Amino acid sequence: MTFGEYLSDHLGRLVLQVVLTVCIGLFLLVTGTKVGVLVLCGIFWLLAAGCVLLADFLGSRARLRELTAVMEGLDQKYLFAECVPGTGTVYERKLLELSRQAGKSMIRAVSDAQAAQREYREYVESWVHEIKAPITAARLICRNVDPAVRQKLTGELARIEAHVERALFYARAESPEKDFVVGKACLEEIVAQALERHQSLLVQSGVRVETIDLEQTVYTDVKWVEFILGQLLQNAVRYRKEDLVLIIQARHLGRQVQLWIQDNGMGISSHELPRIFDRGYTGSNGRARGGSTGMGLYLVRRLADCLEIGLQADSREGEGTRVTITFPARESGKAT
Amino acid sequence: MTKIMIVEDDGAIREELMLLLGNEGYIPYGVTDFRDIPDQAARLCPDLILLDIGLPGQDGFALCASLKKTSRAAVIFVTGREDGMDEVRALSLGGDDYITKPYNIPVLLARIKAVLRRCGQGSPEGMESGGLRLDLAKGMAQSAEGFVLLSRNEVQILAHLMAHAGEIIPRADLIEALWNSRIYIDDNTLSVNVTRLRGKLAELGYGNAIRTRRGMGYQFEIPDGGKRRIAE
Repeated sequence: MTFGEYLSDHLGRLVLQVVLTVCIGLFLLVTGTKVGVLVLCGIFWLLAAGCVLLADFLGSRARLRELTAVMEGLDQKYLFAECVPGTGTVYERKLLELSRQAGKSMIRAVSDAQAAQREYREYVESWVHEIKAPITAARLICRNVDPAVRQKLTGELARIEAHVERALFYARAESPEKDFVVGKACLEEIVAQALERHQSLLVQSGVRVETIDLEQTVYTDVKWVEFILGQLLQNAVRYRKEDLVLIIQARHLGRQVQLWIQDNGMGISSHELPRIFDRGYTGSNGRARGGSTGMGLYLVRRLADCLEIGLQADSREGEGTRVTITFPARESGKAT
Repeated sequence: MTKIMIVEDDGAIREELMLLLGNEGYIPYGVTDFRDIPDQAARLCPDLILLDIGLPGQDGFALCASLKKTSRAAVIFVTGREDGMDEVRALSLGGDDYITKPYNIPVLLARIKAVLRRCGQGSPEGMESGGLRLDLAKGMAQSAEGFVLLSRNEVQILAHLMAHAGEIIPRADLIEALWNSRIYIDDNTLSVNVTRLRGKLAELGYGNAIRTRRGMGYQFEIPDGGKRRIAE
């Protein structure tokens, strides 16, 4: 608050004061007070009024600064009204009371929304859990049908599964802190699990997989990394050209471990590359093929961020794509 | 024969699993009464129990602990929940493996086989069919005419074909079987490997044992000629 702002706030009172002073001066002059006495009184009066004004201004400015400092120091700003120091004026107390009520109602609204979100998330998780039983049953039943039909059906079931899985991890990525468990894991094991999970998809697409130097130890959440790898594998299959060759290779980079997943597919054009991890982004490849949601890589990035995993995609259009996953060194990986 | 007890509350899955495991040469027993499962296990003496964690009204983990007391069976946990902590808990409670729904059927079978093997059950280190012997540990095929050394891929291909002797194995199934042994082979490589395997088997006098059934897959069958010659 500047002095000007303060003055404009108290303009009415000031004008009234000036008018009253002039009136009293005129009255005194008319009733025969000497001019010298009058001037002296006037100066004294102005000085006194000015001092009071200034003191009031400095006081309110100091109070404002104090309150601002309190606000800045707060993590949860909506608790401001509860944290105001001292008693202040009656007017200020009334204002704070009003803002406290506003804050309370907001806190209630927020916690309601959080509860609703948590319930929804729990519902999604249990739904995912439930839907897996019929998918499993369908898988088993598929075994009895004609091989050609079976292959098609397992393909479709795999697609359903992939969507279900994404829904689950989307729900989890919303409140990640309690969900992942960072532990020691062997990269070879994680890759093998991810390949196993997408086995029917990969085998049907006739892929050749080469795994190189995967005997590395990483500190991360196995399930989440499996999901990340799964998304990358699915994309490799989706955007393949004729004979898909996947090279999965690990290497040490200082104290970090890097994992490369390289395919020889369609590739991504350089102007689309920076946006592939954006939510809902489907590149020209995705649009041309249809059925892409723009969610897979977005989730990959969100989960990777939670796990402090580095993600980088390099690609040359028509030649293939390489995604580099950088696992954090041990110390920084201890998130839980 | 290996007995497998299926503890699964979803009727459709239970029925299909029983069919599947029956076809694979196990004796399946599906639990329909979920009270006193440990007692049932004690009576049946299964070699392996497929245990669903999400049973109605009881905790699969607690159940596993009591099962381990009454029965010497290996336990494979099956669950739809995907949670790192569950897996740790399952394995620390004496579970032998942990598999999440929906599973791939070849993967499930491979896991069952692996657990049985670890527990001293199931397929032996070698297989024999019509005079042809496959030694899995040494990676060697033997017949009356001598022996040949096989590569890792060839051993797995031959093992899978011999295990289903007489049946037509689709190429995709064979590839999946190899993937289960973490050999990530593709169609072309499979053809190359089978051709090479045939060449090696020919040295043993079994050149025609692996037949290509066009558009269907491969079939392992010891031709009568081969059998007779061995018998002589």
